Amino acid sequence: MSYPAKLSQIIELFETLPNSEKREALISYADSAMRQGPKDGETFDLEDIRKDEECTDSVGVFLKLSPTRECTFRVTLGPHVQTLTKAMTSILCKGLDGLTPEEVIEVPADFVPKIVGADLVRQRSQTVYYILTRMKGITKVWLNQERSAKHI
Amino acid sequence: MIDKNFAHPDALVTTQWVAEHLSDSGLRLIESNEDILLYDTGHIQGAVHIDWRADLQDETIRDYINVEQFSALCERHGISNDTTVVFYGDKSNWWACYALWVFRLFGHTKVKIMDGGREKWVAEGRHVTRAVPHFVHGHYSPSEKRRDDEIRAFYDQALAQSREGRPLIDVRSPGEFRGEMTHMPEYPQEGVLRGGHIPGAASVPWKMAVAEDATFKSYEELRTIYEDEAGLKRGDDVVAYCRIGERSSHTWFVLTYLLGYKNVRNYDGSWTEWGNRVGAPIEKG
Repeated sequence: MSYPAKLSQIIELFETLPNSEKREALISYADSAMRQGPKDGETFDLEDIRKDEECTDSVGVFLKLSPTRECTFRVTLGPHVQTLTKAMTSILCKGLDGLTPEEVIEVPADFVPKIVGADLVRQRSQTVYYILTRMKGITKVWLNQERSAKHI
Repeated sequence: MIDKNFAHPDALVTTQWVAEHLSDSGLRLIESNEDILLYDTGHIQGAVHIDWRADLQDETIRDYINVEQFSALCERHGISNDTTVVFYGDKSNWWACYALWVFRLFGHTKVKIMDGGREKWVAEGRHVTRAVPHFVHGHYSPSEKRRDDEIRAFYDQALAQSREGRPLIDVRSPGEFRGEMTHMPEYPQEGVLRGGHIPGAASVPWKMAVAEDATFKSYEELRTIYEDEAGLKRGDDVVAYCRIGERSSHTWFVLTYLLGYKNVRNYDGSWTEWGNRVGAPIEKG
């Protein structure tokens, strides 16, 4: 299965990098994670802020859909969230931007090892899939609400 | 200032001491974290990174690396048999103590913990760098075998400890001890089929040994926790356990180096082995 265009660009970038530079790129993405939060005055269709057992601090996922059903994700992270989770936040906010909800749901998770590297996935498996799961989760809720509204 | 009443005060150094000894040729700093990329975001100048999973554990079977692999790891980081190794890391030195325990398992005796760990160093605004140091390969003569029989306990030994009524310290959270959960609060469920604790174990969560600033509590505070409240006595043969042996290595360090107990073993199979083992006796509540 092919990946969405923006995500595909990020994957291709990571696939060309040796492991040491891959780590540098992940840290660079992690550094920009705090800029993925809601902007002043932004409103959202759905907000999901919670502290799960899968993550070391609270994570807020905010979803906004354009009139043409294009998704924008914003994410807030508690101070104790780990570096890999921060990196995946930036990568996914950029990589999934502009997809329809159906496209978000269909994004296969097998891109994660291509970005993070198989070793880090094996060593810290609980960390690397968390943000993707949360984004897909809020998108499913939005789709369910849309389906319910159509039946009213 | 390190509490001089500790049984082995030299095993603990302050952040200030580390700052003053960064250039010592016979000393190596090792950062060991839960957050696997934290070292890469910045670390103490001259510190090398050792990951508990990638570097210290066998990739296939549930065990540690062998003596040859340990020697190669040390040599790669410029560590020789007589190098003093100072460990520090995130989570109040939780993983640093685990790495130290593994080094002791291989017979490396010159080991210390930087009190307060990474949190304290960063909170004090001390310098961190992203430059990864490279050292001339050390020469490490491997010991003949790991000291598994001295500081490590296996299932049968933990079972005997329980049956004979000898001290077992469960360092997990109270909820895990009572059997209400099989993993730490805030951590993923990682495959344990039964909850509870080893019969006869006393609950002393590892974090009770740590102050707000991630440093160890004083000798007297620790003595009160482990002896007055948990009932340990000098000369006891103690087995500590948690879920995979990492939190209990923190308690192992406290009992061995700070309180001076001579016979403390870490049951690193811990609850992920005991709670899955067919027929293993379990207490709840």
